[in-house]
Amino acid sequence: MSIRLDQVTKRYQGAPVVNDVSLEVAEGEFFVLLGPSGSGKSTLLRAIAGLTGVDHGRIHLHGQDVTHVSARHRGVGLVFQNYALFKHMTVGENIEFALRVRRVKAAERLKRRRELLRLVALEGMDDRLPTQLSGGQQQRVAVARALAHKPQVLLLDEPFGALDAKIREELRRTIRQVQRELKITTVLVTHDQEEAFALADRIGVMNLGRLLETGRPDELYARPATRFVATFLGAANLLLAQQTPHGIRFGTTPVRAQPVDKVDSTREHEVVAVLRPEEVELAPSRDALQTNFIGNGIVEEIVFTGALERLRVRLAGSSEAQLVSTSADNQATNAVLEVTRTQHEQRAFPLSVQQGVAIGVRRIHVLPTPLSSYTACAATSEAAQRIVQHPFLTELAARMKTRITTRVEEGLAQSDPNKTAAERISGVAVIPAQGQTAQQAAWLFANGAGEVLILPAHTGLPQRVLIHWADDHARRSTLAVAASLLRNVPAEAIYLGIHPGAGDERRIAVRSLLDARTEAQAIHGLEMRTELHFGEAAEELRKQLSEGPEQMLILGISSIEQLQRDYASLFATPGNYSIMLVYRPSKESESTERTDTTRDAAQVSERAAAQL
Amino acid sequence: MAGGPSRELLAELATRPGRDTLTSTLVKGAFITVSLLFLAAMLFAPLITVFAAAFEKGYEAYFEAFKDSDTLAAIRLTLTVAAIVVPLNTIFGIAAAWALGKFEFRGKSMLITLIDLPIAVSPVISGLIYVLLFGTQGWFGLWLQEHDISIIYAVPGIVLATLFVTFPYVARELLPLMQQLGNDEEEAAITMGAGGLMTFFHVTLPKIRWGLVYGVILCNARAMGEFGAVSVVSGHIRGLTTTMPLHVEILYNEYNFVAAFAVASLLTLLAVVTLVVKTLVEWRTGYRKR
Repeated sequence: MSIRLDQVTKRYQGAPVVNDVSLEVAEGEFFVLLGPSGSGKSTLLRAIAGLTGVDHGRIHLHGQDVTHVSARHRGVGLVFQNYALFKHMTVGENIEFALRVRRVKAAERLKRRRELLRLVALEGMDDRLPTQLSGGQQQRVAVARALAHKPQVLLLDEPFGALDAKIREELRRTIRQVQRELKITTVLVTHDQEEAFALADRIGVMNLGRLLETGRPDELYARPATRFVATFLGAANLLLAQQTPHGIRFGTTPVRAQPVDKVDSTREHEVVAVLRPEEVELAPSRDALQTNFIGNGIVEEIVFTGALERLRVRLAGSSEAQLVSTSADNQATNAVLEVTRTQHEQRAFPLSVQQGVAIGVRRIHVLPTPLSSYTACAATSEAAQRIVQHPFLTELAARMKTRITTRVEEGLAQSDPNKTAAERISGVAVIPAQGQTAQQAAWLFANGAGEVLILPAHTGLPQRVLIHWADDHARRSTLAVAASLLRNVPAEAIYLGIHPGAGDERRIAVRSLLDARTEAQAIHGLEMRTELHFGEAAEELRKQLSEGPEQMLILGISSIEQLQRDYASLFATPGNYSIMLVYRPSKESESTERTDTTRDAAQVSERAAAQL
Repeated sequence: MAGGPSRELLAELATRPGRDTLTSTLVKGAFITVSLLFLAAMLFAPLITVFAAAFEKGYEAYFEAFKDSDTLAAIRLTLTVAAIVVPLNTIFGIAAAWALGKFEFRGKSMLITLIDLPIAVSPVISGLIYVLLFGTQGWFGLWLQEHDISIIYAVPGIVLATLFVTFPYVARELLPLMQQLGNDEEEAAITMGAGGLMTFFHVTLPKIRWGLVYGVILCNARAMGEFGAVSVVSGHIRGLTTTMPLHVEILYNEYNFVAAFAVASLLTLLAVVTLVVKTLVEWRTGYRKR
């Protein structure tokens, strides 16, 4: 491994700007760090270069731990967005600077300078001053200068930021060529996905200080794991679909989806589907569609962009698909689908604005995120509205680009086990924290909810998220929920392992702690810290939650009894912290659940029909 | 790195339409006239008066004035003080500007304000501070007397007072420059393996040299010309603790006008020369760059 980062964290004034990033870049690989501004990608690059220290974690270059080695001795080449050329030196002097530092002989310096200028196609420019060069040429000089001392790693911080489109493309090609020729490990930071696609062997997408996903460009585009990556890499429509044992459906319509192993397909639940604009088929009528029909729509806007035509199609209210958002806007209520069509498609079916069309879906990709949408649940509609307006919930939903619906259930008032919900609860059920919280949560779980979010009256986004599960059956799903949530909230994740006694158990406890961390990292891409505590679980959690401001607990359980038996004291008096409960029945109790699913599936389709 | 638009740009601007209407020409003319008149009244007239008074009784009387040993001592003292103060304040100024421009710390804005203190405070007060500290009645007065060290009414006092008064010039000139230029080039140098000194002399210093030259010139001009603060601490001992400005006053009070204005003309000349040197240096480097 050429570069290895291990749980690197950097804080500015307490807030993490780089949050637990672990990454490996192979020898000779071109790695692109992609993210919006403020995502921490530049800070991470500077940390690799040694210009910024890290608060936690380790940095290895070529197998050597350089965490505490100064930038001067790390032997990396760095290229800045604003070139940072020495303006009082000529091009030749600039390039030779690193060699002069190393007291290389003049003849050898000259040879190396020639070599580098040839590499970046600037032969004969030796005696120019940087101010006499164009922006593109200056950046070439900067690249040559960064390579002069034969660094083992080349780092580029938004190198094309200050250049116009045409020169950008030219320079991009030059950098790719240089990288191929020298086979030098390269990390480039950019916010431009097109640039990332064009250059990268592998892309890492960052947001809010976290490295969300890494992968080959085509893989990331076709099979993103998170909403952010789905919408940041190219355009995407996010839709709510139903996962059933028989496949993915929009209402009653089955659609073709790529198989994703992380999605739990045995359980009937709501999922988030990514529909790329080019996977949408438009036709004059339902019968003319070659793919599965998901609804009717009206063309709102057509933009000609050359090879492709971009359309915005408003979904009719009767559509089977529920659109939550597109990458263009975060308005959850806005049911406008982004569509692109090729010239060929345009000729086959010419369209004009205000025309009605039938919409079909060629292929979708289901995100393996367990948090699809939020449902505010209450006994009265006023109470439900209050939850919807909770600032924590609105902020979270906006960040996750999803929607909040309301659900009025009378059964919730007394948590009457005999009174069942009118229909299955889908998405994350949200209830306020009050006296009966535990009973209400139990009731919601019994009625199909998989996750319940309990919000106290006044709470903001957490700075610390504590993770705990009652037993190993709940581990995987709890970690999945935690990972999904923490991608959208810049908080620190801490897993609390709590064991009743000391003695021999300690060793087992430590091992399970390490297992949890490894699993979080390997399967869910979640970096979390671990803490081991001894005592009674609910008491210990209460103690941890009461110290410090703005905390959140993610608690996984595998049977409803656990909630009332072991954790009741957590809910007895509402604190100032929010709790996300994750409930997945363990395998033993699942057999009874199975029979329910068919009934539920029927119910879901009925509901969909009712919405038509 | 001389400021202002380039010659090409100015030429291009002049060709743009809508430049020369009648009113714009009139307004332009009026502004230039007013500025020139103001300059003539406030700047050129006193300058000419100085030289006119100095040469009132002919060249011989003028040069006779410089043969006086007290005058020569005053010139020597002024140059000595400047030779000590300017390098010290250059180093302090760079250090202060560096610290304030490149790092973030608590009380930074407070410190920036404090740097301006010597300009804000009346020079007489600046002098009095030192009298209060080192004078016979001052805090350290007794101790200094016991050890037979004289600061007030001696050269060290003059140097200290001048140091205090001229401190802000270099720092003030460099601070905005350092903030504006940023750290990228230094960081680039460091990643290429350059050490602190190498980075400073090969990267930072060339970057800030024009600001530095300007700051040093201002600092030097003030160091040579300072009257108020020096007057308080010097004690006006003829031939020992009188600098040129003080000597001018003494001569003037003795109705020795020719000698007084002769020394004054020398001071003025020093100022004019430094400004010419600065312009020359700027012009030459500008020429080389083009």
